[in-house]
Amino acid sequence: MAVMLECKGLEFSFTGKQVIYNIDFNIQKGTFTVILGRNGSGKTTLMNCLNRILLPGSGNVTILGKNLMSLSTNEIARLISLVPQEHIDIFPYSVLDVVVMGRAPFLKIAQKPGDSDYAIAINALKDLNAEYLAPHNFNRISGGERQIALLARALAQTTPVMLLDEPTNHLDFNNQYHLLAAIKHLCRLKKISILASMHDPNLASVFADDIIMIKNGTIMKKGQTASVMTRENLSTLYNTDTGEIWLNDRKKMFFPAHILG
Amino acid sequence: MKVVSSSKKIVLILSFLLAATFLTALISGRLSIQMSDILVMISNLIHGETSARDLISKELVFAWVRLPRCIMAILVGSSLAVSGAVYQALFRNPLVSPDILGVSAGCTFGAALGLTLPFNVFGQVHMLSFGFGILAVSLSVGLARAISIKPAIVLVLAGMVVLSFFNALLMTVKYFSDPYDQLPSIIFWVMGSLTRVTWNNVLIMAPFAASGLILFLILTFRLNVLSLGETQARSLGMNPSIFRTVLITVSSLMVAASVATCGQISWIGLVIPHIARNIAGPEHERMMPVTAILGAIFLLVSDSVARSMSAAEIPVGIITALAGAPLFGYFMFKNRRTGWL
Repeated sequence: MAVMLECKGLEFSFTGKQVIYNIDFNIQKGTFTVILGRNGSGKTTLMNCLNRILLPGSGNVTILGKNLMSLSTNEIARLISLVPQEHIDIFPYSVLDVVVMGRAPFLKIAQKPGDSDYAIAINALKDLNAEYLAPHNFNRISGGERQIALLARALAQTTPVMLLDEPTNHLDFNNQYHLLAAIKHLCRLKKISILASMHDPNLASVFADDIIMIKNGTIMKKGQTASVMTRENLSTLYNTDTGEIWLNDRKKMFFPAHILG
Repeated sequence: MKVVSSSKKIVLILSFLLAATFLTALISGRLSIQMSDILVMISNLIHGETSARDLISKELVFAWVRLPRCIMAILVGSSLAVSGAVYQALFRNPLVSPDILGVSAGCTFGAALGLTLPFNVFGQVHMLSFGFGILAVSLSVGLARAISIKPAIVLVLAGMVVLSFFNALLMTVKYFSDPYDQLPSIIFWVMGSLTRVTWNNVLIMAPFAASGLILFLILTFRLNVLSLGETQARSLGMNPSIFRTVLITVSSLMVAASVATCGQISWIGLVIPHIARNIAGPEHERMMPVTAILGAIFLLVSDSVARSMSAAEIPVGIITALAGAPLFGYFMFKNRRTGWL
């Protein structure tokens, strides 16, 4: 498998305090990697360093062999897309107009999206079985649908790497699985490498190929899901004694030990 | 796309409406000038004939007062309206207008200072007004830069600081000004008026208005992306701080040029973009041309009303506020379910 994104010795400081440091990992083509960690452990900071929304203090990020620091903002946007956490406070654009903004990195500064861009946007929605959303007001659809629309925008950006910032936040039980299944499907179908930060280790175990565990700003453990997702690792990661329930001989679920009593 | 063609139709209809309003504005006012008079004047001008005696006074009023004034109304109205639309997109806030960074407050203080100074150099009021307007915006932006955590909201707060400061300075000038001679002209300035517009003012205003309008119409799709906020605009390949700097500079120049010539004309920048969004949709490709035309129509109509309603002219700012405030209330009510008001 080919390495899509390589991160070496990444470090970021804010007002003199090291937020993340010594971050090394690779992401393979067409895989789904999940970042786990407690609140404030540096997950979002790490993601923001990967598409240069934050400037890393030191370290190297290469995408498809190109150094992140040598690329323009526009070039980065053609390689990495971002699906932000769900939000609603923009003007009441239609979903199609939100999705077509994913074409921005491919348009000249004064250019407006043309028919081919709208076609790409429609196809992105089709890929997610959400074509029906196109004419709807982005602010008036459900949280799950909004997340789908933002995902479609990232798809319309046609990047080889996609970052998802806590994609299942604000989603109900069913929608969480629905969305992650859709993401996993795309990841395989379109060979997109996906890096998502998440809070629920059980959701991560179901969908992730690889897991990166971040604690106090640096990588505590990384590797394939089955090998990393252990009681011991999760206990250390979340600073709480973790128990597990085996559903069958391959699948297990984690709970804080005191719940299992 | 169907939507685009319908928005072209809207622009076409509004352009006709603007032309009609312009002609009506030309013939309305206390001195009656009929359409036929204007046609005679034009044909006389073309054939190099001198006009009849009773037409000469009309000709003077038409050519040196009414025509520049109506053209100015179009320039200022559309400038204020599109600046408002740009500010609302940049700050992702529908309650923002070009005044928010203190440009109008700075301009008004500059004008008041110019009016009260013991000497009177040519163009002193306009120059001081323009200069202090730009100074006020620079202070806001500079202060925000120095703080710089969350750019958009810090900029609004810095703007409030500067705006209040210049308002205080204005009050100081008012307090020390001569209440019989200077104070009325300051107040007239604060309320805004197109009374003293000359061709010179039009020539100064035109390049600001034209270049700003062209720039904003070119960048409409980028404004959509910018209105998603800093992080998303960046992830879509844009450098928001560069765009913000350019767009704020250009719209501040437009507003400063407007206020320096016509005084503070309120509500256009706030309410016209809302009306345009209701007519054409929130996408800037569709709403920006509509905003420009509507702004022009709104100020033309307000100014015609201001000069024809009574024997003594009413400051146009009063008319725009009287019409703008209820309109804004109405559109707030109408948009209550779209999720951003």
